[in-house]
Amino acid sequence: MPHISLVRSVLIPGLVLTLAGPTWVAAQENETTSSGVTFDHLLAGLEEPTRWATFSGDYSGRRHSPLSQITPDNVDRLSAQWTFQTGTTTRGRGFETTPLVVDGVLYVTGSNNFAWALDARTGRPFWQYRRDLPEDLTYGASAPVNRGFGILGDRLFMVTLDAHFLALDRLTGSVLWDVELADYRQGYAATLAPLVIDDKVIVGISGGEYATRGFIDAYHPETGARLWRFHSVPESGEAGSETWPDTDVITRGGGGTWMTGTYDPELDLLYWGTGNPNPDYYGDDRRGDNLYTDSLVAVDAATGQLRWHYQFTPHDTHDWDSNHVPVQADLMWNGEMRRVVMVANRNGFFYVLDRVTGELLQGTPFTDTTWAREIGADGRPVVLNDGSQGCLPDMWGGTNFMPPSFDPAAGLFFLTARETCATFIPQVPEFVPGRSSPGGVVWIDQDQGYGALRAIDVYTGERRWEFRYPTPSMSGVLSTASGLVFAGDHEGNFMAFESETGRNLWHYPTGSRIWGAAAMTHMLDGRQHVLIPSGTTLVAFALP
Amino acid sequence: MRCPDAMRYATTLVCAVACVLAAPCLVTAQGTNPFDGDSGAIRAGRQLFGARCAACHGADAKGISGPDLTALWSFGTSDERVFRTVRQGVAGSIMPASDAPDDEVWAMVAYVKSISTVTPDPNLPGNAAHGREIVRSQCVGCHQVHGEGGRLGPDLSLIGQTRSGAALRESIRNPSEAVAARYRTIELVTATGERVRGASKGEDAFSLQVLDTNQRLQGYAKRDLERWARTDESLMPVFSPRELSDDYLDDVIKFLGTLRGQ
Repeated sequence: MPHISLVRSVLIPGLVLTLAGPTWVAAQENETTSSGVTFDHLLAGLEEPTRWATFSGDYSGRRHSPLSQITPDNVDRLSAQWTFQTGTTTRGRGFETTPLVVDGVLYVTGSNNFAWALDARTGRPFWQYRRDLPEDLTYGASAPVNRGFGILGDRLFMVTLDAHFLALDRLTGSVLWDVELADYRQGYAATLAPLVIDDKVIVGISGGEYATRGFIDAYHPETGARLWRFHSVPESGEAGSETWPDTDVITRGGGGTWMTGTYDPELDLLYWGTGNPNPDYYGDDRRGDNLYTDSLVAVDAATGQLRWHYQFTPHDTHDWDSNHVPVQADLMWNGEMRRVVMVANRNGFFYVLDRVTGELLQGTPFTDTTWAREIGADGRPVVLNDGSQGCLPDMWGGTNFMPPSFDPAAGLFFLTARETCATFIPQVPEFVPGRSSPGGVVWIDQDQGYGALRAIDVYTGERRWEFRYPTPSMSGVLSTASGLVFAGDHEGNFMAFESETGRNLWHYPTGSRIWGAAAMTHMLDGRQHVLIPSGTTLVAFALP
Repeated sequence: MRCPDAMRYATTLVCAVACVLAAPCLVTAQGTNPFDGDSGAIRAGRQLFGARCAACHGADAKGISGPDLTALWSFGTSDERVFRTVRQGVAGSIMPASDAPDDEVWAMVAYVKSISTVTPDPNLPGNAAHGREIVRSQCVGCHQVHGEGGRLGPDLSLIGQTRSGAALRESIRNPSEAVAARYRTIELVTATGERVRGASKGEDAFSLQVLDTNQRLQGYAKRDLERWARTDESLMPVFSPRELSDDYLDDVIKFLGTLRGQ
């Protein structure tokens, strides 16, 4: 195997002359014809064991790897292979990225819009990119995170904290094009991993704590030209606008689209979560359901038109964004094969929807929330406790954007659950451009919180098992076909569990909380590697 | 989506500060706090602090994952310095730079200062010299005073500056009523049957970190323990009037009020 596969002699002949040796020559011979990732590669998902080329590993959003070298029997021998130090901190948040890996090269985004190409064998960088960010960032200053690249051909795609969208040359890290998504001064920012489909790159926007209006965009991968925009809050007069008061509040209704969605290539539909209405906690001036906030929207990938929607939390006043990875599966449901999309929602419920029609098939609580315990026949939550009957899940929710995983063979959905107790105190907000307008305060009883890794039976919504953490965790989940689940916690442990029972099999203290990130895995030189971002580090594990 | 842990609670400028600001006043990051001692701003600052800071520093500013802020002024810091720290953050830590408006930051500073600086009442009853003797005989086994004594409980060297006399009385009479996070009691039994009691200093899914009553820092793997549990009962014994008369308690409070930082 070539040790450095990034080299292309046509681009840097001088370097090859200087450093020519057996390894380098082999690299040239093997890689000069490489042209990066194709749409077919993306469609194939994780079938190629050396590749992880999109945020969730494939379009289904399952984050479930077919790799099976690391098993419940040998996982306790897993050991660190290398650690990459990013050198950039994320105050108050996490290193939330999912690395991509293609041909032995990792493409990694970091906090504060750093990015790198790394040698997957050593963690050594080929190049580093750092965006020159303005000093007056708005939302981007409070959450200076990034969740990853998209890749197509020789282009890497990345969004920025000043709400721009970039294409980088994967060989050099140089910027190929740069377009503005929105005016960051108004409160916009961008943090997600772009989703690449055939001839488009799909991105969303952050900033629902500000007087902003969410959207999903499609861009041409070669030129950066915008192909369509779907607004998550409709124009006055459009369908859905009747769920807002007839005032200007709709123009700043929030509904951020800040988490990477998934894609069904057969239906040519995108599934994307939308965020909280603005203001977060004060709802008196936005009476109504506030569509399409806190929803899952199915958007025609060709046109950007809404096909269907399902709103999880109508008229949200708890900041329970629905920015989750929508997980696709084909399930035998009451004797009929159904194409479904599953969401473990911040409101504490686990949902199964028909992904062709949006029909609700199941909604069951996966937390102990008292907010609601069932979904009514009309598809809406039956709210039992608006906060007057005791505390509610905090604004970080029963889970959050950290990716879950789904094992189709076991029919188990693995997620990080958060059990918390909060009191929401709405206050009349003040709207100032570029200043957040949450509309209230939240008091959290720190003594009552805990976290848990839970396995949910997707057919019943019942909890199969859990592993508890001392505090609520914000770590994502990866599962593998060999019967393992990898997860992290707020205390910094990276852990492996037996997926059938939840038995802990291995843990490694990374030294920093694992926050917003989920592990990914790939084969390299015949060895399965598992990578986890934690704090300021990216650590690779493999068997000896 | 909400922002970082330290900023995890969202808020708006509450009415009290808005009212204060309705009057013309120069609010800048330089010089003295325009809201120093202002009761309305302190109330507003309390809400703002709860929203922006309490996740790490605790609602009482005594610290959770972030440090105790109530002793800052006793160590000689200034309002302006605290303002700058809030505004700039602390490099290399998770303490973020705040983008809150100046008036909100000043209000938070006024609030923390209001719960930090306690001017001991010079007219309190009691005999400080006798109080010193009581503290030496009864307290320093677990508490430090100016570098001497145990470490199981909080350092008392500045306690008279950061807690009111009434609060100190309550803590001595009913120590289990309120126990700071890093002094909460944990009890465990090891696989060999050893019983250990101490202050819980840390925990993850697999381990415990304990300062035990023999004042040893001990780490334990949970899997190696026969059992373990937290209790609401403070490690500090109850000093009822039978153990410490009201007059003697006055002496102790008086003495603690005389202590200053070194």
